[in-house]
Amino acid sequence: MSIASDAATRPIGLHLSRETQQLAYRLLAVALLCLALSIATEAFFTANNILNVLRQASLLFFLASGLTLVILTGGLDLSVGANIGLSACFAATVIKATGSPALGTLTGLATGLAIGICNGLMVAKLRIPSFIATYGMLWVLHGITYYYMAGETIHGFPPGFRQIGSGYFLGVPIPVYLMLAFLLAGTIFAQRTIWGQQIYAIGANPVAARLTGIPVDRRLILVYAFSGAMAGVASIVFLARLNSAEGDIGEAMTLPAIAAALIGGASLFGGVGSVFGTFIGALILTLVLNGMNLLAVNANWQPLVTGLIVILAVWFDMVGRRRT
Amino acid sequence: MSTSKLLAAALPAILFSTAALAAGETIAVFTKNQTNPYFQTVRVGAEVAAKSLGAKAVHYIPTKPDSIPEQLSQVEDVIVKKPSAIVFVPVDYKAMVPGVEQINDAKIPIVNVTDRSAGGKFLAFVGADDYSLGLETARFLLKEIGGKGNVVILEGVKGSLTNIDRVRGFNDAIKEFKDVKLLASQPANYQRLQGLQVMENLMQSHPQIDGVLAANDAMAIGVIEALDGANRKAKVVGINGTKEAVDAIKTGKLLASGDYNGFLQGCIGTLVAIRALRKEPIVTEVVLKPTVVNASNFQPYDTPLESRSCPSWNEAAALASKPN
Repeated sequence: MSIASDAATRPIGLHLSRETQQLAYRLLAVALLCLALSIATEAFFTANNILNVLRQASLLFFLASGLTLVILTGGLDLSVGANIGLSACFAATVIKATGSPALGTLTGLATGLAIGICNGLMVAKLRIPSFIATYGMLWVLHGITYYYMAGETIHGFPPGFRQIGSGYFLGVPIPVYLMLAFLLAGTIFAQRTIWGQQIYAIGANPVAARLTGIPVDRRLILVYAFSGAMAGVASIVFLARLNSAEGDIGEAMTLPAIAAALIGGASLFGGVGSVFGTFIGALILTLVLNGMNLLAVNANWQPLVTGLIVILAVWFDMVGRRRT
Repeated sequence: MSTSKLLAAALPAILFSTAALAAGETIAVFTKNQTNPYFQTVRVGAEVAAKSLGAKAVHYIPTKPDSIPEQLSQVEDVIVKKPSAIVFVPVDYKAMVPGVEQINDAKIPIVNVTDRSAGGKFLAFVGADDYSLGLETARFLLKEIGGKGNVVILEGVKGSLTNIDRVRGFNDAIKEFKDVKLLASQPANYQRLQGLQVMENLMQSHPQIDGVLAANDAMAIGVIEALDGANRKAKVVGINGTKEAVDAIKTGKLLASGDYNGFLQGCIGTLVAIRALRKEPIVTEVVLKPTVVNASNFQPYDTPLESRSCPSWNEAAALASKPN
């Protein structure tokens, strides 16, 4: 229980400055990666490519930011990828059937949220370990999605709706604005509100949190609901960007989303991490793919390079942490 | 094929089916997953063929896509249930050999479809040749861009049999055109989102891309979204001949899609199985010639799967590379 006692005795002022220093190290890791890529290829450091990377990182960030709150409480949400799949398919069906992007968007968000609330109820009320509850949910969602879609795809959405994913405002892609808005809102929520601080406290020491009168169950339901809703957001942006829905669209994103949060400094034991850190994590994962494509790294070596860079980035971060 | 000819082909089948209803064989159809539209075409082909001969198709699909242990346990289930015959797409052509041997021991007749198994005894193999599919589809694109210019390849899942052969076909076609330059060959794992993102990245480092060879349709559609988003033009081909690809061909966004012809594979595989049970002559190998679906020949692919009909046995037998 050293983490918990550490968190309890640590004065607030020091806590913040240490966090800030850690963030500085993480930003430095990103800067080094960018520097290396800029030297390696002149195609990297262009306004176009920076916006391209940010837009690509946005999907992963939406998914990982909600997940970060769950991880802060010491839980895990394995159902986010499957959630995107079902939410996107339902949203797509509604858009096709009614012709209304607004109704479709609402359906996608509501589906994501409902799945999140179910996860939250299972974890908080039925006391099922989050790994099992959300792993079970993953299969339930896959089952529903695959049965519902029967191997088909739904494609072709109204141009107005597509703007959410592929539009621009003042030369900057819309998903980038959305990402920055959620980054700001998520950071303020986690760092500057009582609810946010309670979520950290639950992760640091759930027993103590309960004893100090924090409504643990309600906060747990809240974070899973949030995670589900963010998967709903991701599903809408996904639809608008890709112009099509199929059953397995989110499957390849669950692990990268967890990785983004952990690379960003979150701990699976709870109580440590931040939405901004997760943003950095998503950025690092996206930069690696971008860099390999720009440099046309041989397909055979790409998994190896990805793995090495992720390990290096976190190692660099650990060295920084030990110093502070 | 004209309607009257189709009718003539179907008529004996209908007459026969009423006579054979009493036989009512059960055909167990094994496919790899519920997510890839290709396997849906195989399943529908099998159903149409079974129905036309008064038999019944029962499907076995791993809930976790391409899961080896799951397909193995489904094989064990099916040995207990003893269907009349099995139409078998192995999730892995090597790992499923022990499963096939178990079926052989249980003396259930089995036809191998799509991926050629590395071992075991089969009545017949029905499949397509990924290499020539890649080769022909690539040739079509390279001719279309005038035999000169810059192309990129989007590869599927590294190490999968389909990907190795398709990409080899792409590369060999490129070698036939001296003035075509291969800029990059990058993996996008048969995923739509990765197809989009990898293409976005490649456009950053290559200002002029004339053609894109994608190893499946989902990646090709992702590429088209990336091109649209950047206001750039390039000719794009995919592989599988999915409904979505046909729609994109109709609107002129996709140049062509090499058809893997799952419907026909499902049809012929099932026809062979039922004919063997009824002691009628069969063929032992059918490797379908590649068809490159494009603006001039997409019409037959534009009908819903369920309303397509299987070829007559004479037509199917004519496609055989090894008669019995």
